[in-house]
Amino acid sequence: MVKKMNLSLIDVLIRPDAFFGNLKNERESLKIPALIILAGGIAAAIYGYLMGGLSAKMMADVMPGMDTIIIVSATAGALIMTFLFWLIVAGILYLISFLFKGQGSFNRVLEIVGYGYLPQVAGSLITIVVAIIYIPNISVPTLTKAALEDPAMITQVTKAFMHDPAMMMLSQITTLVSIVFMLWSAHIWIFGIKHARGLSPRDAAICVGVPIVIYVLYLTYNLGVM
Amino acid sequence: MRISQPTTIICFLLLLSILPGVAQAYTTPESIVASGNVYISRVIYDPGAFFTGDTGTVTVYVTNGNSNQSIVVNHATIGDKNIRLISSPYDTSANIGPLQTQTFIFSVATDAFEGAYYPTFSLSFRDADSLYYRAMVKVDNTPLELTIIDKPDAFTQGKKKTINMQVANPRKNNVTNVVLEVTGEGISTTPARTFIGDLGPGAKLPVNFTITPEKATTVLLTLSYDNGDNLHKTTMELPVTFSVDKKQAEPVISNVQVTTAAGVYHVTGDVNNAGLETANTVMVTALAPAVPQDPYKTYVVGALKPDDFGQFEVTFTAGPGNTSIPIELSYKDTDGNIYRSIQDVKISSSGISNSPAEGSSSNMVPVAAAIVIVLIFVGGWVYYLRRNKQ
Repeated sequence: MVKKMNLSLIDVLIRPDAFFGNLKNERESLKIPALIILAGGIAAAIYGYLMGGLSAKMMADVMPGMDTIIIVSATAGALIMTFLFWLIVAGILYLISFLFKGQGSFNRVLEIVGYGYLPQVAGSLITIVVAIIYIPNISVPTLTKAALEDPAMITQVTKAFMHDPAMMMLSQITTLVSIVFMLWSAHIWIFGIKHARGLSPRDAAICVGVPIVIYVLYLTYNLGVM
Repeated sequence: MRISQPTTIICFLLLLSILPGVAQAYTTPESIVASGNVYISRVIYDPGAFFTGDTGTVTVYVTNGNSNQSIVVNHATIGDKNIRLISSPYDTSANIGPLQTQTFIFSVATDAFEGAYYPTFSLSFRDADSLYYRAMVKVDNTPLELTIIDKPDAFTQGKKKTINMQVANPRKNNVTNVVLEVTGEGISTTPARTFIGDLGPGAKLPVNFTITPEKATTVLLTLSYDNGDNLHKTTMELPVTFSVDKKQAEPVISNVQVTTAAGVYHVTGDVNNAGLETANTVMVTALAPAVPQDPYKTYVVGALKPDDFGQFEVTFTAGPGNTSIPIELSYKDTDGNIYRSIQDVKISSSGISNSPAEGSSSNMVPVAAAIVIVLIFVGGWVYYLRRNKQ
């Protein structure tokens, strides 16, 4: 286990305040956060590969080789999007913390966001297990070339795919898992931004809580209209 | 110039003596005896019996019964007011050698009513008087008989049925080129035309054909035949009306059980054949909005004899909001015609209350869970901040 001072990486999960309190005294380093993000990206890529396989199955008859393109796109996209997410979240937190006159470098914010992503790696692993269980039961309708020219048909097929009972169950479980682990990450980021930008606990909670709660409510809304 | 009376008398007597002298140059007692040996050996009418309005031929065979003397004939004709001669009579001399037969062929027509008629054939000898012969012929308007031997109790749309017919000739003569033609709107028949050929007097012949009706209609059966060279037709109408075939197979689904596993519905049950005919290739499948899934997208029960039964199992998924799914039951008859029936099966009232296919209400559980999680998170932080503030 990687050690930071006298605290282990596990302390990020269970004692984030103490962990980041010690971390601010250390030199900025993105090595471990980047590895965490990479781990999360690999987990997301595996999940993307599994879900991309379903989309590929749906589009297999449209064009030869289309399935490969979809699977590769989904896998690589999930990996890249994880790193983008890291940058975006760090950017949002950095910008919002300006409103509370926060001080500290963007790299420090990147560092704490990377550490705070650790719960989501675990969450991604759980969603992979759930996907492996449910994907064999998902009925995947196939699109033909002719159907591709009919938007109504595409909508109908996509709707049938998304409303497949197994698919719905998978979506609901993974969304709930994502929400739980996203809030856990938010909990860590609050303490992280507090130390990284020198904010009060209240300001840090608002800085992180508002965008994350909005995002989680958006996921909840999607869950409701599914 | 004045001719004396005795001269006139002499000339008259000479003339009288000359006239019998010319006749007596051919008509001799021998020739009269010889003409007595000429007889009609055979008369053939074609057709053998006429319909009113028919035309035909009559062939008269004249035989010279003399063994050593030829006979010269110079006129032959036949006919009367009922059997009219429509060809020319024979007006040229013809020599019939000893023991030879000469044929005389005439075309005749009749517009007479049914009955027997006796047109007279007359033949004039050069060296004797004429020969007369009455050649009997019948006018008979009895048509060929077309009889339905067997037909189905009921016709069903698109189902092929066999009709068994019999063609009989109650006439006294042979008819030729007998053809049975089956026509009708909205039907397909096999064969549409059946060539039967010749049919002798009193003969009968079975003829079978199939009808596949697409709509209720009337089938016209036309039996055409030649009486001699005269075309005649006999028609019959066969109404085709749709009704329930009392004997047809009737598969019925019962003992339906619905279970679900991982969002896939399994419907099992029995198929009983409540009809009187065998249901071949009985198949069961789920229709839209269900989406059939492996392993039993379609279940082939196979052939079911009357009162026999088999089991089936179909697997499918169904979108949210579907409380019942149509199950299609199909089978084939012996001709390969496919019959389908649909029976709705309830899937929501079969103990699958927590089924993911229940509908949008099932989304409320995870939504509520998500809201609770968010509230716990926010509440926890509010509580934490307040406590730390104090």
